[in-house]
Amino acid sequence: MVSSYLMNTVMDNVNLFPLFLSFRVAVTATLISIMLGLPLAYFLSRQQSKLSDFIDTLTNLPVVLPPTVLGYYLLVMLGRQSWVGKFLEEQFNIMIVFTPTGAIIAAMVVSIPYLIKASKTALLEVNEDYLNAARLLGRSELNIFFTVMIPIAWRGIISGITMSFARALGDFGTTLMVAGSIPDKTLTMPIAIYDALQAGDKDMVNLLVLVMTSVSIIVLFLINRLEGKMKKG
Amino acid sequence: MLDVSFTKVMNNFTLHSSFSSNQGGVLGILGSSGCGKSLTLKCIAGLYTPDKGNIMLNGKILFHSDDRINVPPRRRNIGYVFQNYALFPHLTVYKNIEYGIKQLDKKIRHNKTMEMLEKIQLTGYENSYPSQLSGGQQQRVALARTLIKKPELLLLDEPFSALDSHIKHLIENELLHIIRNNYDGIVLLVTHNIEEAYRLCNHILIIDQGNTLQIGKKEDIIHSPSNLTAARITGCRNFFDVELLGEEDGHYIVKSKNLVFRVIKSMELSPGKLIAGLRANDLRISPESFNELNTFPCEVIDKIEGVFSTTIIVNCHDNILQVEVAKYTFPQLSDRQHKKLMLHLPADRIFLLGS
Repeated sequence: MVSSYLMNTVMDNVNLFPLFLSFRVAVTATLISIMLGLPLAYFLSRQQSKLSDFIDTLTNLPVVLPPTVLGYYLLVMLGRQSWVGKFLEEQFNIMIVFTPTGAIIAAMVVSIPYLIKASKTALLEVNEDYLNAARLLGRSELNIFFTVMIPIAWRGIISGITMSFARALGDFGTTLMVAGSIPDKTLTMPIAIYDALQAGDKDMVNLLVLVMTSVSIIVLFLINRLEGKMKKG
Repeated sequence: MLDVSFTKVMNNFTLHSSFSSNQGGVLGILGSSGCGKSLTLKCIAGLYTPDKGNIMLNGKILFHSDDRINVPPRRRNIGYVFQNYALFPHLTVYKNIEYGIKQLDKKIRHNKTMEMLEKIQLTGYENSYPSQLSGGQQQRVALARTLIKKPELLLLDEPFSALDSHIKHLIENELLHIIRNNYDGIVLLVTHNIEEAYRLCNHILIIDQGNTLQIGKKEDIIHSPSNLTAARITGCRNFFDVELLGEEDGHYIVKSKNLVFRVIKSMELSPGKLIAGLRANDLRISPESFNELNTFPCEVIDKIEGVFSTTIIVNCHDNILQVEVAKYTFPQLSDRQHKKLMLHLPADRIFLLGS
């Protein structure tokens, strides 16, 4: 009953753009996070220096900073007046602020700490003897990363990726600061929920809230299962 | 030919390792825990970098601090069996063994791996995971994984410490059998157990607090340790402060408190203060007199019963000695407790050390 009612309302008058945009933004942000975060997590798990401590602190900063503060920093760093913003606009005609690209960057910055932290912990738990054995059996460090470290630590890494995806999907404040809420351009789900609520569009709010809640429950379920298996070994 | 001479400083610990081995067969590295045995192996393997010195293997320089040569572990062609075996938990037995020869053609790889599995008697286990194997089987897989690369040097880091003692002997034999039949290079075996070292090795190297104390044939190491620490590490329990009084008929005459006894003269010593050492199981004890040199009356103070042997603590002219006797000979001695027994100190088993 409920689902058919929802389906009907979807067919009729709900604009699904925020839903698709959010998933596109979250997926892209997570993919970039994996590419940047995994090597960084590897570096942090193998290095003990002042530099690595500093980077470790820096990567955790987005977790504690208020989203608006983070958004402001991003605006300052990537805005049209900034060095990076000017360079990208002049050389490649790329604009970040108030574009989906901005939303992706905002989502990535707020979510990457979760991926780095979980992956770092998982990689740290890989016994050094496995790596030494692989080294003495003639493999290079890069090869060992893919044939030993990732396969042994994958549960922790996947759990980090899932967490990071959930965080990227749900970001409100930072995305609003950097990408704004331009309908059919940068309006993501969490912001659309707020807008819809302001506009009194209950159908839209219910649908989006249901989607967000389902995704969150699935993510938590996945993480719990992975962590349960990790403990069993 | 392995030639090692290096210094490695770690926190408060300094390791000076200096020895060479040109024989095939097994060289045991013996020392108490934390003395730098494992660190020595790890430096030779290249897993740690020494601060100074050099490491040569079969004419090739693996490490030379002055020439800034440091061959990475993956190019050293050294086999290493870790204490916990370090089998990759996510790979099957087959894939574990094959891991080091990935550069070879698939067909050759398969043949070599299957041949190895047969040698370690684990044919049929190729699809099992390490966690499904017993400790001894895991160890054989770890050995196969490294032997398949035909290493120039094989390092075994406390290979039996993770095994239950009742199956240890069996597994020791198996492992050595596989090594002897399939490997003819130098083997270094780290252990803290003199029994194990003696059973498995031809030569023994003694390390204490980061220093190399003595290297030699195992019989020589037991018969004449170079100093007090080496004697202790090899299990000697009786030491006396003695004074060298003189010599007679190829024997030194030494005095410890009220006990004067003779020691076979095996090297030149000048009169003065020395330490005499004598192993508990070399002493002989009996209710009757032996009618031999160095036989003295003694009094039983205590006895400590082991599984197969009994240690009797005796007082012999104010010297307290530990005597180890086979258990079946003890009952006849035990009813004479607190009575006088006769103690014989074999003159050829006593060693003298500079104090």
